[in-house]
Amino acid sequence: MRDIAAEHDSDVAAEHDDGDNAAPERDDGAEPEREVRAPVPAPDLDEYRARARGWIEANLERGPASGGRRGDIDPAAIAAGRALQRRLYEAGYAGITWPREYGGQGLGPEYERAFQQEARGYRLPELGIAGGTTFGVCAMTMLAHASADFLRRHIPRILAGEELFVQFFSEPEAGSDLAGVRTRAARSGDGWVLNGSKIWSSGAYYADWGMCLARTDWDVPKHRGLTWFAVPVTAPGVTVERIRQITGDAEFCQEFFDDVVLGDGDVIGQVDDGWTVAQTMLMFERGGGLSHGTRTTRASTGVAPDLVELARTAGRLADPLTRDLIVRAHVDDVARRALLARLGARMRADPAQALHLASYAKLVSGVHDPIRADTAMRIGGADAVNWDAASGDAASGDAVDREEQPGGAVGRRTAVGFLNSRFMSIAGGTNEMQRNSIGERVLGLPREPSFDSGKPFREVLRDARGWTSARE
Amino acid sequence: MSVGLLAAVTPEQELLLESSSRFIERMMPLPSVRELAADAGGLAAGAGAGGLEARYHEAACSLGWFGMLVGEEHGGGTVSGNGLLDAAAVAAERGAVLQPGPFAAANVVAQLLAAEGPKHREALARLVAGRARATWAVGDVAGLTPGAGEIVAGEDDGGGFRLDGDVRHVPDAADCDLLVVTAHGPRGLTQFLVAADTPGIQARRMASLDITRRPGAVRFDAVRVGADAVLGAPGDATAARFEWQVGIAAVLTAAESVGAMHRELEAAVEHARTRIAFGRPIGSFQAVKHLLADLSLSLEMAKGVVSAAAEALGSRSLGSAARDGVDLAHAAKAFVAEHGIELAHGCFQVFGGVGYTWEHDHHLFMRRLAADAVAFGSAQWHRARLGERIGVG
Repeated sequence: MRDIAAEHDSDVAAEHDDGDNAAPERDDGAEPEREVRAPVPAPDLDEYRARARGWIEANLERGPASGGRRGDIDPAAIAAGRALQRRLYEAGYAGITWPREYGGQGLGPEYERAFQQEARGYRLPELGIAGGTTFGVCAMTMLAHASADFLRRHIPRILAGEELFVQFFSEPEAGSDLAGVRTRAARSGDGWVLNGSKIWSSGAYYADWGMCLARTDWDVPKHRGLTWFAVPVTAPGVTVERIRQITGDAEFCQEFFDDVVLGDGDVIGQVDDGWTVAQTMLMFERGGGLSHGTRTTRASTGVAPDLVELARTAGRLADPLTRDLIVRAHVDDVARRALLARLGARMRADPAQALHLASYAKLVSGVHDPIRADTAMRIGGADAVNWDAASGDAASGDAVDREEQPGGAVGRRTAVGFLNSRFMSIAGGTNEMQRNSIGERVLGLPREPSFDSGKPFREVLRDARGWTSARE
Repeated sequence: MSVGLLAAVTPEQELLLESSSRFIERMMPLPSVRELAADAGGLAAGAGAGGLEARYHEAACSLGWFGMLVGEEHGGGTVSGNGLLDAAAVAAERGAVLQPGPFAAANVVAQLLAAEGPKHREALARLVAGRARATWAVGDVAGLTPGAGEIVAGEDDGGGFRLDGDVRHVPDAADCDLLVVTAHGPRGLTQFLVAADTPGIQARRMASLDITRRPGAVRFDAVRVGADAVLGAPGDATAARFEWQVGIAAVLTAAESVGAMHRELEAAVEHARTRIAFGRPIGSFQAVKHLLADLSLSLEMAKGVVSAAAEALGSRSLGSAARDGVDLAHAAKAFVAEHGIELAHGCFQVFGGVGYTWEHDHHLFMRRLAADAVAFGSAQWHRARLGERIGVG
């Protein structure tokens, strides 16, 4: 795992997402303005809705929404997802709010909402976690910063399901300190040569492109020498390795770049101005963080039903201490839900503070998910440690959705939940980064002194090696 | 600056909160609260600060502080359509400056009297207008406050009742004119409205960790009251109403706590911003900054859950539909009781040595948050009520 806030970047309050951008839905309050629309007369909303309903009924299958689920992805499902995405695109229901000149429909968000409402209860394209990253983060960032030429080449293909993008953002030696990336792109003739390594890119093993942050100038302070590139995952010199996670799943990847040749046309935004682009990307990511928090909050009915079921299965429901543990978790659940409702209202009232307020939503998951998972382990006791082998194990991804054995499944699910419980504490900006953001941007506390923002990055690395222990 | 219990306020609510906090700053800022506390150490009301208190109480009533849970026909009214939400927001402003007086208990009494229709119109009018002060002697009914004692009501020959017992931990018991008593009667739980000067009633102040409040104890020694003193129908109806009353008292107490948490954290943040050590403001150290950020998260959650509880409990009428509101009130009180004390500890750590001095206001907030934590049910009690919602099989 990358360093947990071994360094932190007060200049940007960077909330980096390790890749769980799986949430296609966003909180309206957190969603920035989309791109300009072409001046084409918009259809009547009711007619549009009726037409969309007709197309959906004729072309989509009924079933639960599946977009962006966690865990391993079946390649066949992705292929089917791409095909379905293409049909959406051809029918004019992909990129509804995106600019027409890049293959979108150039319509207002009310049309997007109408389509989503009509599509409720139908299966939309399953593109896994990379799908969420492509549409929710990468494309949005490109639309804000990439050249028209770049957008004409890539956006239509994205909308047609031909190009899935992931982020090549974090590195083995740069996580919270994102501006400290060390992957380098060096000028070579008309193009660039890329060397280095990226990590935590979700779903890169089945994606087509990576959106890669590289250092293009080592002689300026860290924020100023960065540039974004689009890198084909299959380009010569790119090696993608899947990372097996503690649950046995392998949704994350690490990439190695050995003299990968890129062209000027692959640059996204301005050369050496990558940090501006990165901030846009972080903004889209953090919106995803808020909706993630919303999703993990339990339903409003009943007292922690999952823990009650667990206690019943474990035969501990009559135990007063167990019941108190359950109610404690319930009280926290209620307070978390109330917090998210409150934040939504505060963000609408004060859009300038919205990004920093979103840190509360992220931090509440990072702090309380592990507590809740520990509570479940205490209630489950031995049943959350050992269970019938028929319900699968906690070290292979294939068991994740298997629930046909009620008793054993509850124990296994609790154990997997325990292993996953620090996800929000680390991914998408560590708890420490959120605390910096709240402390500095909401409470107004002074910044930490910086040891790297004022000097060439080359010197930063050299000087950092000189830090010594007090014992030396 | 407003505490901001509610994430969004109507212009009318804003006006109410502004006038309330202006009034507080003018008449009962923290130095005055300290003065009152010093007087309470031995002097009875009527001394210098006693006059201040009387003027304070009357002026507070003119702002509508005790009329928010009663209708306009009784001289009260809500500015938002949800009186409990208004009252909770005011309570938070009060809590921020550790205001004296039984705000939660008096509002419970007002709401209860309003539910009686015209029967207790006169007492209610006095309460709302500030000509009488009221509190609630609940004791240990339903295990609410272990060790608080109980009142037993026996029927007498003339159709009236005889009240006996001793209850402790009653807010402002020795400083009130009207008492609502929750007693065990021949037909189950029975509530009475009695004047504090009824023969046989003896109220006394208790010493308190929270020197900004004046809890007391009341002894009932063969106190005779008529049948007309009974509020509502004894038995199940009163038991249901009791849950509702506890919910209101819990929400308003938690709202006062949230105000205290807000001001305590604000002071700790200010201290961290200005205190210099090792050549930098201590708030620039992550060890301090992160502690404050975590406390700020708790405070945001507390504000969210208390306003959600007030919203739900205040917008529904008495009856089974109130379950959600009552349950949210339990959750709010349980959350705030524990996180309020935790916040006081965290801020104490940031203040360092100065927080250990009498002169610094921190201890007043720490005392208040610890006392509020057990008023109208501890966290454990409220969690136990929620636990009853879980099946056993």
